[in-house]
Amino acid sequence: MRELMRRIHYLLNWRRLDAELQNDMEFHREMAARAGRKSIGNTSRLREQAYEAWGWTWLDRLVQDLRYGVRILARAPGFTATVILVLAIGVGVNVAAFGLFNMVALTPLPVRGADRIVRLERRSPDNSTSEMAYPSFRFYQENARTLSAAMAVLGVPPMQIDHDLELTTASFVTANYFTELGTRAAYGRMLDPEIDAGPGAPPTVVLSYGLWQRRFGSDPGVVGRLIHLNGKPVTVVGVTPFAFASLGGQHPDVWLPIAQQPYFIERSTVLHDWTNSSVRMWGRLAPGVSTKAAEQELRALTDRLRRQHPEAVWEGEYIQSSPGGHLQVMQPPMYRVAAMIGVLTLLILVVACANVGGLMLARAVTRQHEIGIRIAIGAGRMRILRQLCTEALLLGAIGSLAGLALATMVLKITLAKVNAPRWLNAMPDWRVLLFTAGITGVATFFFGLLPALQIARQKQQKTTARQILVGAQIAASSVLLIVAALLLRATQHALYTDPGFGYERLVSVDPQLGRHGYTAAAARAYLDQMQNRLRATPGVSSVSLVKLPPLGRTVSNSNTEIHGRKVTIYPNWVTPDFFRTMEIPLRMGRTFYPNEKHAVIVSESFAREQWPGENPLGQTLGDGADKDTIVGVAGDAHINALSDDDALEQYWAAQQDDMPDMVLIVRSTGEAGSLAPIAKALSASLDPSLFPEIRQLKVLYRDNVAQIETVAGVVSMVGLVAVVLAAMGLVGLVAFVVTQRTKEIAIRIALGARPAAVLGAVLKQFRWPLLMGLGSGTVFAALGSKLLRVALYGVSNLDPGSYAAAWILLALFAAISMLVPAARALRLNLASILHHE
Amino acid sequence: MPMEDRSDALSPAGALPMLILRVIQSEPLHGYAIAQRIHLLSSDVLAVEEGLLYPTLQKMLRKGWVEAEWGISETNRKVRFYRLTTQGRAQLKSELSSYGRITQAIQEVLRTA
Repeated sequence: MRELMRRIHYLLNWRRLDAELQNDMEFHREMAARAGRKSIGNTSRLREQAYEAWGWTWLDRLVQDLRYGVRILARAPGFTATVILVLAIGVGVNVAAFGLFNMVALTPLPVRGADRIVRLERRSPDNSTSEMAYPSFRFYQENARTLSAAMAVLGVPPMQIDHDLELTTASFVTANYFTELGTRAAYGRMLDPEIDAGPGAPPTVVLSYGLWQRRFGSDPGVVGRLIHLNGKPVTVVGVTPFAFASLGGQHPDVWLPIAQQPYFIERSTVLHDWTNSSVRMWGRLAPGVSTKAAEQELRALTDRLRRQHPEAVWEGEYIQSSPGGHLQVMQPPMYRVAAMIGVLTLLILVVACANVGGLMLARAVTRQHEIGIRIAIGAGRMRILRQLCTEALLLGAIGSLAGLALATMVLKITLAKVNAPRWLNAMPDWRVLLFTAGITGVATFFFGLLPALQIARQKQQKTTARQILVGAQIAASSVLLIVAALLLRATQHALYTDPGFGYERLVSVDPQLGRHGYTAAAARAYLDQMQNRLRATPGVSSVSLVKLPPLGRTVSNSNTEIHGRKVTIYPNWVTPDFFRTMEIPLRMGRTFYPNEKHAVIVSESFAREQWPGENPLGQTLGDGADKDTIVGVAGDAHINALSDDDALEQYWAAQQDDMPDMVLIVRSTGEAGSLAPIAKALSASLDPSLFPEIRQLKVLYRDNVAQIETVAGVVSMVGLVAVVLAAMGLVGLVAFVVTQRTKEIAIRIALGARPAAVLGAVLKQFRWPLLMGLGSGTVFAALGSKLLRVALYGVSNLDPGSYAAAWILLALFAAISMLVPAARALRLNLASILHHE
Repeated sequence: MPMEDRSDALSPAGALPMLILRVIQSEPLHGYAIAQRIHLLSSDVLAVEEGLLYPTLQKMLRKGWVEAEWGISETNRKVRFYRLTTQGRAQLKSELSSYGRITQAIQEVLRTA
């Protein structure tokens, strides 16, 4: 280490130290002369040796190589610009993708001790939910010693401030939420466990910075003001900071203490009901406690809770913890998606590298002369190789910098577009920089080393390297194109195919009776009244009840196997009119009688899977006392899993006990949006303390489809970029081959060869790489796209149309990019070429 | 025979760092004086080549065994004197002991074989 310091010191003071050494030797010479001895020899050689003793010669050579490289590249601006552009795209796409992943899953939230925050969720072999009952949360909070703190968030439907038409998003949180995160209020104070934890505390609300700007005109005097939320007076105590980071990426506009929940939602039992899973739980690991230790303790606590409140705990339940200190709590499926995106973007890099490699090879011919001279005057192969690698590194570095800039720009635009949390920053952090450096190294190795080896061996005439590069480009771009085609097909399918239910004229009305403390009987009375009044409303054609409304916030499913095939079953509880209201056809049998017991209706696919070739009616499901008879078969309608073609539905008739959880579904004869105010007024006349959430299914459906459209759009763009890159590469390579063989072509034509035959001879060497690339790319895509299945809206991942479209597009691009430069050869001026030679 | 010792100290060229360390042990010397001193002390047997002396001194500077400092020569000229560092002193000690052991071992072989 000290030696390194001395060496660096020498390097920095080299000029002075060298002069001193020269002085020493000068003196030596003088003294030797006095003593009558001969001169001491070549001092500059000695100085050089002294310099070498410090071990910095490699640096000199590197600087020399770099200087030479810069000169060489500056002399070929077209080549340099193309390479840098291609690399910038290849690296940029990867850095952007990683940057996004970094933001979502790696960057710690700017909150106190983000690395100790965990998200805690209920899991069991058969069930999973992101929410738990508040009393269970309290139980864990009080008893877990491995957690130094626990926070809960209760999401609620949007609330009304004063008499605003537009509703405001809201969350109830435990009073320690902000103190645990270390949030400092922009104005006033945040919630305080000392003041806001008790149910008797005066009602308080914290506003989001955005709401404070929009709704309250950035008035600092808002602190202390009385506003009304859903008609209940409440005092504003503070405003969140501008760049507030909350857990789980949730950014509601008003934050309320959870102890006040019964004040805003009258008769609510949420805080006492052991079976109402409604809060999201977060914990902070106590100092020195591992995640595993915490999970172990929670498991023991779950068992204890089971003994005390068996109704609150599932069979085999445990609490799963995941790192919570990031924007997104990553679950295994998300890692799968991330990995898939990573593979796709890496393919772009493969195309870019193969492309640049091809360009380097082609350029080697023009440099043959120069390199020949260098070898002739004594440069070793290693020296030439090192020079070429330095050039590649230089190109790689510049290209990557450009890519980094490109990626940062893309991220910046994306952040601005999606209204991301303010604390997110598009500027690359050390992880992104490290990733960029790593990917630059890998890319440089691939595009630089292979050509450099060939050139240094003076064997650039060999076609193998070229063929490998072409094959790699074609393979990678065919994978990208096939995936893009599949996603496009899926979008189309989603847009233009009947989802199995008529979503156009439906609204769902969710009064959240359970959360308002309605008993089953009271809920039934309310729902009956609502149904009757809605049916009497002009423009309403049908009304029914459903427990899990279409495209709802709550999704329930269970994974099982039917005859060895994995399926996901979506259960639901409905009233008899459900199928008519939803316009889901009944294929066989009948709908339920009101409150019918031990009867079940299944979807077509379910019946086909379970009883292939048999009549499903009259068959039974379940065993013992829970045995249910199939009374009907409904059309497939994946109302809560639009994109999952494997989903199967199973319906039961809603019972009295289900009433507090039921949601109204209303079908209109005209524009569904006009029903919203009517439903609202009707509900208010029955119970003014209710604020039902009214949603138009058409809008929800479009939002859902828009998501996959965006994904398909992005993937298609990436695929197009890949194919354009590949085409550019082909154009360059073919043009190069043509130039190389100009004489041969000219002679062939002069001897009377037909143009087609000449073209065939030139392009023959690309035939196998093209076919091999296409073949391996297709196989790779076919295997890889299995992972895509759930995103494909029922389109098979082997959909022949998509594959054919991708092949045709690729073939077209390849053909054009090969024929255009090759055809030039046919128009060559024969006389002048032959004369020249 | 354990060969972990620096056996290149046996050849005069390999022994040069050791010799240099030894001659500047008592007082800092300039390059010419180092060469002279070795020459004289070896009764004119060892002539230190300038071509070896200066690169070797550079290596020793790099290792931190010697330091260079400005001084005035006997001819009243400004020149660099090389001085032994603590690290150099330790190095000399270890080289001397290993050199002693090796020569002794060789002597042993030559005598008894």
